[in-house]
Amino acid sequence: MDICKIQKLVQNHGIVFLSYSGYMSQSLITAMVESLEKEAEDNNLTIKDSHNIFTVFIELSQNIMSYSKTDKEDDDSNKPEGLIIITKDENSNYYIHSQNIVSLDDKNRINKTMDDIKSLTKDEIKKRYKELRKSGENTHTKGGGIGFYEIAKKCDGLEYEFTKLNKNKYYFYVKTTIITQKKDV
Amino acid sequence: MENLYIKEEKCTPEISLNLDGTISLVGRSYPENTLEFYKPMMEWLEKYFELPLSHKTIFNMEIIYFNSSSSKLFFDLFDLLEEYSNNNDIEINWIYDEENDNAEEAGEDFIEDFENLNINLIVKEELNCENE
Repeated sequence: MDICKIQKLVQNHGIVFLSYSGYMSQSLITAMVESLEKEAEDNNLTIKDSHNIFTVFIELSQNIMSYSKTDKEDDDSNKPEGLIIITKDENSNYYIHSQNIVSLDDKNRINKTMDDIKSLTKDEIKKRYKELRKSGENTHTKGGGIGFYEIAKKCDGLEYEFTKLNKNKYYFYVKTTIITQKKDV
Repeated sequence: MENLYIKEEKCTPEISLNLDGTISLVGRSYPENTLEFYKPMMEWLEKYFELPLSHKTIFNMEIIYFNSSSSKLFFDLFDLLEEYSNNNDIEINWIYDEENDNAEEAGEDFIEDFENLNINLIVKEELNCENE
């Protein structure tokens, strides 16, 4: 794990509000979502912003749980491990970062999806999401399904990066930005 | 055939399927395995709509937020309902909090995709006593 990268992200994005590294399970995700709900309530976030944060977090952490691979070059079996960090800046904008290991095939699939997302406006992303949901393609299947379109719909910035680990495996790092509106109290 | 009730959990909604035609889904939806979680509901509905029904079936759906595989599952649910709506009187109430723009938009998307279904968007009344 690249510790420098983590330190850099803390410097750039203020407070680390939640971080988890290791084995990912549904019960952990549920517990972390509960703490996010508490955070949203304490900070008086709007329902829309809160739900955007929850949904993006759920998609990224369930991706880690369902699709992460082992680091072994010749073994493509799943290993539900990864890193998820939520930071926030002084304006209460949230950044959800995730990192896990994917195979070369996953990387190619994800790249294709991300290229598509990058070429679209927000309205077009919503439209594509509906088309894909309707067609049944890319859903309930492994890697890069409508999940990334769901994330793209709900965040204000989506960046990603692959770092080669060996011939067949890559670290897949995702950073999402959620700009929050301050609710008048 | 009997009523089916599934208790609400932190990541799954309360599901209440009643033979008198009142059906409700209330809560969050991001199960670990969406297909598996909703399988009993889908199977119940398929059996239910094969019964000779003389009453109207009303779905009250109040899903506060959900993951992408639940979104796909709800699409499949509406697809099933649309199929049965030729021979059955089905009404769907998509219920959301006034401030919950995402839920409203999700409801609008389903209306667009299922023109033959009777889907109402309903803003929830301020009766949040249980949250106080």
